[in-house]
Amino acid sequence: MYWRYAIKRILMGIIIYVIIIFIYSFLFNTVMEETLNGQIIEQVNGEMVKISQVGTDPDYLLEYRERRIRELRDIYHLDEPLVSRVFWRAIDTLTFNYGRSTIMRSFKGETDVIKIVLERIPNTLILFTTSIILDILIGVWLGIKKAQKAGKFMDKSTSIITMTVYGLPSWWFGMVMIMIFAFMIPIFPSGGISSVPPPETFFAKLVDLLYHMALPVITLVFIGFWGRAYLTRNIVLGNLQEDFIMSARARGIPERSVLYGHALRTSAPPILTMSLLSLLASFSGALVFEGIFSWPGMGNLYWAAVQQNDIPVLLGNLSITTLIYISGIVLLDLIYGFLDPRIKVGGKA
Amino acid sequence: MSTDIKSKKAPSRIQMQLADFWKEFKQVKFGIIGLIFLVIFILITIFEHFLIPFPEASTRWRDITYWEDNPRNAPPVWINWFTEKDYTPTTYMNNLEFEEKTISPTMSVSTAILEYDYNYDVPPIDLIYRGRFKGSFTLNIVLERPDGNTINLVNKNFSSPTWKDFRVAISNEAKNAVQSFAKRFQNVSSQTIKVNSTIFSEANKEIITNPVPLKGTYKFNINIIKTSEDTVIEDPKFIFSGAVSGILGTDNAKRDIWSGLIAGTKWALFIGLLTSAISISVGVIYGVVSAYYGGFVDSIMQRIWEIFMNIPLLPVLIVLSAIFKPSIWSLITMMCLFFWVGPVKTVRSMALQIKEETYVEAAKALGASNGRIIFKHMVPILIPYAFASMALNVPSAILYEATVSLLGLGDATIVTWGQILHDAMNGGAVTNGLWWWVVPPGISIALIGMTFAFIGFAMDTILNPKLRTR
Repeated sequence: MYWRYAIKRILMGIIIYVIIIFIYSFLFNTVMEETLNGQIIEQVNGEMVKISQVGTDPDYLLEYRERRIRELRDIYHLDEPLVSRVFWRAIDTLTFNYGRSTIMRSFKGETDVIKIVLERIPNTLILFTTSIILDILIGVWLGIKKAQKAGKFMDKSTSIITMTVYGLPSWWFGMVMIMIFAFMIPIFPSGGISSVPPPETFFAKLVDLLYHMALPVITLVFIGFWGRAYLTRNIVLGNLQEDFIMSARARGIPERSVLYGHALRTSAPPILTMSLLSLLASFSGALVFEGIFSWPGMGNLYWAAVQQNDIPVLLGNLSITTLIYISGIVLLDLIYGFLDPRIKVGGKA
Repeated sequence: MSTDIKSKKAPSRIQMQLADFWKEFKQVKFGIIGLIFLVIFILITIFEHFLIPFPEASTRWRDITYWEDNPRNAPPVWINWFTEKDYTPTTYMNNLEFEEKTISPTMSVSTAILEYDYNYDVPPIDLIYRGRFKGSFTLNIVLERPDGNTINLVNKNFSSPTWKDFRVAISNEAKNAVQSFAKRFQNVSSQTIKVNSTIFSEANKEIITNPVPLKGTYKFNINIIKTSEDTVIEDPKFIFSGAVSGILGTDNAKRDIWSGLIAGTKWALFIGLLTSAISISVGVIYGVVSAYYGGFVDSIMQRIWEIFMNIPLLPVLIVLSAIFKPSIWSLITMMCLFFWVGPVKTVRSMALQIKEETYVEAAKALGASNGRIIFKHMVPILIPYAFASMALNVPSAILYEATVSLLGLGDATIVTWGQILHDAMNGGAVTNGLWWWVVPPGISIALIGMTFAFIGFAMDTILNPKLRTR
């Protein structure tokens, strides 16, 4: 039964992804075609220079130029009606064929957009998984404490901090942290993922990485865990008022095991979903954050691509981000379905 | 008849509901604090012109000439309270009183004496005399120092048949005069001197190499010798461009950050409120309609909602802004296009319950139209919930605008907090520790976010009785 649900959910995710890619290629069709046109003419001009060095007659050159442009436009379906152009652009995107960048290069100097984007994913993942794990640990722990003593001083004061932090831009907090801890009191590096030049041995590399990760992770966790704690508190508190808790208490089960054994067990699925959901939200929100810390991840790529107006990189990065985002949501639903028996059995109509 | 009843009427259901809601809201302390903050923000917006020293900050934020008399990267004036040395603040002297003496039919002399009490340790960056004129005149400024020495600072001719601005910066204009003055006391060969520190320093053997500030009253005699009959001079100003400036200092384009911050308040409120009001209204109606019709319509509407739900909002906004270079209106439109998904799921499940209520059934039996049932009987019940999620959505709208602006993709015709932070980022404020440029805009964003979070969470506590602590 669960497998049917899982397969259905995954299929649904794929369909949504395809639809969104079609929407993208419709929205960005014009600008992408302009870029492609520019690239084609640039490529043909490059070839012309090569040929003219050999020495050929100008008529042939002109004819060659026209033929090559036509050929290349054919490859990219540029002379077809709008619907088919949008369709082919979407197919290209779906097959990860994002074309070549206009200005930007990968770390190794390649111009394939997919390579530029892919080499940055691990960096983003390292930063965000580390901080989200810390975030969830601290947040859930604090949330349970808050629920346990709901309405007391600790609960109220941390709730106020939660609300204060609610509208705080994480990237601004990053700027302030860098200003204080990298320039005024220089104990952390101001950005980047490794020292220049990077250290030789594996162990030294690891230490160097941790050293560079420290400030961004501290910033992210500090901004994040308050909200997580508030959420956990609300869910646990809601469950603590259920009848089964009262009956457990009536049976004389110690408060500790009521809290951790009964209340927390029923609260686990929503806490997990909410946490992962906000991880996804913060994942897209914290993309700008990477730019502040010059962390060479996907967010920084947006920043750089916007600055250099590199459209193919921007769109390729967007498609990959969307793919990761949707995969995250699907995965979330699968985990949730696994944890919550009601979904396993019945499922939505 | 019916109007008769209505005029005496008992309050309608919505009114009663809202009155109840308000009664409960008053009980939540932080909700009230949020409301107070909101009122303060609204007052700031209304009285913006009285609060800022540069009233055109909003419209001429990117106009360099509007800000040229301010110092660059100057800290706020109140750092004087915390530092050992006193820094000269920026002062604008707009009310110079001129006495006019006619010498000959074509020539007249206007004189103004400006007395300036100098009680600081760090001299101003520059002294500027400026105004608008027509005709021709000679400007002569003589400084009488507290120790009795006089320096002939400026002698300059101006002439123009049409209206024109004139601007004299002493640091530039009086270089030679001050240099020869200083050399009377200390003979240092051809060293470039700091004009302003020399003017405000004791005349001793170390006036150039180790200046000691000379405190007291400085008299600036400003003489304007008009050499033609039709010469007119309008709003003359004398500006001490200080070492510290304004309530929150200046940035690297000499702009007054306090003015920018206050001018940005109305945009933050506007963007936040408009975006959340439109998108939440759409979302609530969408959810209700979806639940009310049910069946085929419902499943189609849910699929559409699911697609929007799966779009990563911020990256899409960034890419859209990067490609289409939006104005503030199109940015708000784009945000509304994605923000409406927020309340749909909760609203739909609430509406599914309301749909089963007897009065909805009764309305149906009476032959009420679908539209009437939806808007008259179902949506009003959800209004408190809608307000709560509106309040909680305002900060995210402001945050998204700020983030898009931070990347330099904001509307260049207005000034928002995000744009100030973008300039700070590019102007090296972080690396140079110019905290007065980085901290205030972020605090403002956080404060306005907190305001609406307080209000929203307060409503949330009322709407979710389970969360109450007693």
